[in-house]
Amino acid sequence: MTPLVPVSGTRKVALGLAFFVLFVLAWSAATFGGLVSKTFLADPLTMLREGWSLFAQFGFAKDVGITIWRVFGGFILAAAFGVPLGIAMGAYKPVEAFFEPFVSFARYLPASAFIPLLILWAGIGEMQKLLVIFIGSFFQIVLMVAVTVGATRRDLVEAAYTLGANARGIVRRVLLPSAAPAIAETLRLVLGWAWTYVIVAELIGASEGIGHMITDSQALLNTGQIIFGIVVIGVIGLVSDFAFKRANRALFPWSAA
Amino acid sequence: MSKLAIDGVSRVFPGVRGGPPTEALTPTSLAVADNDFITIVGPSGCGKSTLLRIVAGLDQPSSGRVLLDGSPVSTPGADRGMVFQSYTLFPWLTVRDNVCFGLRERGVAPARQNEIADRWLAKVGLEGFEHHYPKMLSGGMQQRTAIARALANDPKILLLDEPFGALDNQTRGLMQEMLLALWEAERKTVLFVTHDIEEAIFMASRVVVMSARPGRIKADVAVPLPHPRSYTIKTSPEFSALKARLTEEIRVEALKVESGALVGG
Repeated sequence: MTPLVPVSGTRKVALGLAFFVLFVLAWSAATFGGLVSKTFLADPLTMLREGWSLFAQFGFAKDVGITIWRVFGGFILAAAFGVPLGIAMGAYKPVEAFFEPFVSFARYLPASAFIPLLILWAGIGEMQKLLVIFIGSFFQIVLMVAVTVGATRRDLVEAAYTLGANARGIVRRVLLPSAAPAIAETLRLVLGWAWTYVIVAELIGASEGIGHMITDSQALLNTGQIIFGIVVIGVIGLVSDFAFKRANRALFPWSAA
Repeated sequence: MSKLAIDGVSRVFPGVRGGPPTEALTPTSLAVADNDFITIVGPSGCGKSTLLRIVAGLDQPSSGRVLLDGSPVSTPGADRGMVFQSYTLFPWLTVRDNVCFGLRERGVAPARQNEIADRWLAKVGLEGFEHHYPKMLSGGMQQRTAIARALANDPKILLLDEPFGALDNQTRGLMQEMLLALWEAERKTVLFVTHDIEEAIFMASRVVVMSARPGRIKADVAVPLPHPRSYTIKTSPEFSALKARLTEEIRVEALKVESGALVGG
């Protein structure tokens, strides 16, 4: 192996799949080989069987749908407020000086720690789940977007000024298009984090959703269902991430990535 | 009256972390006549780029003023087109949309924008590249687009800050011919900063030599070579004599800078 030399497309896919295979093999060896008690870890076949019964008998599709709705709802809410504020902070230094210290502080507040408060304020309905994801995503989006916009190449801004652009033209026709690909990349990253918040929100005070199913299965010591729930989240995350990447590439063909 | 008057312009940069302030440019005056092509040449650190940035309105002078057609300039504007050394095409816009940028900012009708852009792209030899993105172009083509973009605004003066500095020698020679032919045809007023003496003589009707630390104008030399000029003029005796003279002037300045750097540590 030589550092930084790229691998071919097919080889890349083969290597990526190889680790999944290896992982399942190790899991099978541990469970079918009797190294780990079934009480603690279900084998892959049991997991698939449990997964099938979840969909066929327990209406798991509805749980999955609810969870996806919560993730995207909270995420879109956070993006709708976070992206404009981040752009304003990146473009205008007084706005940044006003908000930045508080946002930097708020970003370290763990979203899960707000769950008891949010239950008190918003009950155990949908609003509470959305707010957990909102709190977890909003401050991250604001800061990363502000940094991206603030890092716009100064020579492009100067070129635009010498072409007759005013302050508004600089924001609309230089800062925004220049930052757009990195903002889209930020949103892709934060969407991944939103998935971790939704499960935490559903572990407490929920009657539906993947997280709720996992809590129920814990009471029944059904590790097959728990693992299946985790795998479903992973698959959805992988698919949405892939779709996001493809969309970014289609939207910004001029960008290096 | 001169087209552009630089009147006692100086620039002092404040000291960094309690250090003494740096005088980048001592009060400097320069008059540029209409349709003149002036090159400013000097060693790095002589304030030639600072002077150009002040004319562009991208930097403010510590004293003095810049007059364009008699009215003072303080902010950047479309009446002074600028081409930078770094590649400053907007990467998200096609070649044509880059050239249209200033026109669109002024609210020119879209059809008229494209008409003007395509005319300038043809003049810099980029027909057929209208829909390319900058990253698909070579360095020379990017700078040609940047020149077309600045000229599409129909500025009163064109400012160029070492526009061919990042190009290889062959491309640089071709770009000089292209820009010179453009000037011979359009007769724009041009202020061109470079550290390449041969480039400075080949392009200019006047070469202004600047000295370093602090930056000031040391010599102002007319270039009486006839137009249109072809690249073969670079090997003529008149050209060589001018080159020898300017090389000597700048060598003395470069030596001062180097020894100053040694003494100053």
